Amino acid sequence: MTRNQIHSIFLSAFVLVAALIATRPAAAQDPKQLYPTMAPVEQYLMDLDAEIALARSAAPDAISHDASVIVLTRHGYETAVQGKNGWVCWVGRAWMAMFDHPEFWNPRIRAADCLNPPAARSVLPYAYKRTELLLAGHSKPEVIAAIKSAIEKKELPALEPGSVCYMMSKGSYLTDYGGHNGPHLMLYETTKDDAAWGANLTNSPVLSVNYWYISAQSYAQLKSFPPLSVFLVVVDKWSDGTPAPSM
Amino acid sequence: MTRNQIRITLLSGFALVAALIASRPVAAQDAKQPYPNMAPIDQYLMDRDAEIALARGASPDSISRDAEVLVLGRHGFETAVKGKNGFVCIVERSWTSAPDPDFWNPKVQTPICYNAPAARSFLPRNIKRTDLILAGRTKAQTDEAIVAAIDKRELSAMEPGAMCYMMSKQGYGGDSVEHWPSHLMFYFSQTNPATWGADLPGSPVFAMSDTREHLTEFVIVVQRWSDGTEAR
Repeated sequence: MTRNQIHSIFLSAFVLVAALIATRPAAAQDPKQLYPTMAPVEQYLMDLDAEIALARSAAPDAISHDASVIVLTRHGYETAVQGKNGWVCWVGRAWMAMFDHPEFWNPRIRAADCLNPPAARSVLPYAYKRTELLLAGHSKPEVIAAIKSAIEKKELPALEPGSVCYMMSKGSYLTDYGGHNGPHLMLYETTKDDAAWGANLTNSPVLSVNYWYISAQSYAQLKSFPPLSVFLVVVDKWSDGTPAPSM
Repeated sequence: MTRNQIRITLLSGFALVAALIASRPVAAQDAKQPYPNMAPIDQYLMDRDAEIALARGASPDSISRDAEVLVLGRHGFETAVKGKNGFVCIVERSWTSAPDPDFWNPKVQTPICYNAPAARSFLPRNIKRTDLILAGRTKAQTDEAIVAAIDKRELSAMEPGAMCYMMSKQGYGGDSVEHWPSHLMFYFSQTNPATWGADLPGSPVFAMSDTREHLTEFVIVVQRWSDGTEAR
């Protein structure tokens, strides 16, 4: 698999999807047509033990062993394991991608993720809110409006410095494209400027994406959201210590 | 613990480097104080064009071609190339970038490209350290002066988003660790390494914490050199 192909996995999963879609042959299936609406909720749910194990596999055992684990239920995420190191591991579903992501409703997505304490405090509340509202049947514009309101009322926190997450699980399924997965860390920053980190440039090991959208034109209200960038650094091993494919 | 002592700890944490160290234990232990004093300044200086090229090699060309480049002069670092993207590339010398046994090793040359927040908040520490060293201060005097300047806020705290690239195939890390793995570094004011899961078994993150400088550096090894070739 070439480096560009591997990049495409991430590009299609969480980064610069618009560019990828734009270059795909017209005859290829449009993911928006594949996943136009939410599937029955059962398709997003998992066996409890399997979900806990997958969530923990996002980080090396030295981290996830003592982490809290949250699991998806019909109404949102609930704590399945109470941790003691401040980290929270979970399995993100497709709707945690950008609001205009073509796989937003893909029921196969299982994104194992362990958030460090600053991210657990300042990023996870957004995931809780988004998930609860979507599972309650609200539309994307309604969810966006509710999050906007919660931010303005300071019901949702500002991003804490040093917010990081590990996504090093061999068992994740991040996208229908390519090899579906690859180990990486994600660093959250309030900058709007990808260039500040040299991200998305030729041979740079750093990729970045806007947390909220692929295209600022997709949902007008998102343009007024606080800037939130996710910087992704590919690492060379899975969480179990085995080597990952070259990227 | 000084920054150079901390570097030894970090180096022992790098899997790739640990293997390298393990393969050369006798050489490392026998070489007691091979560089007890500063060498003549000329031994630390480089050909200007070679230094610019080496500095730029710290990051992919897509970043470094528009970066400012500093080169070492007899009294400190000087701007050799004006940049336009906020990055600053530099070849650091032993007194800022090597473990203690190599503190005066004139062969040490570590290329680094700092992003703009790091160039504003971290790089000034190494510029000042270099100025003091070249002015004849001892290592201890330099350490004291840097700590004092930080405490007096003459040197700033780390800015959010401060990071650097150290992805050069070239350079020389020191006699015990001749070459660092290709990596990125992220700078924070004093932070608990556990916050990033650093230094734990299986973690891809390593940390250096210097309580005197109120500084924590997180290191993530990457797969490729700055020219895109495989690094492992």
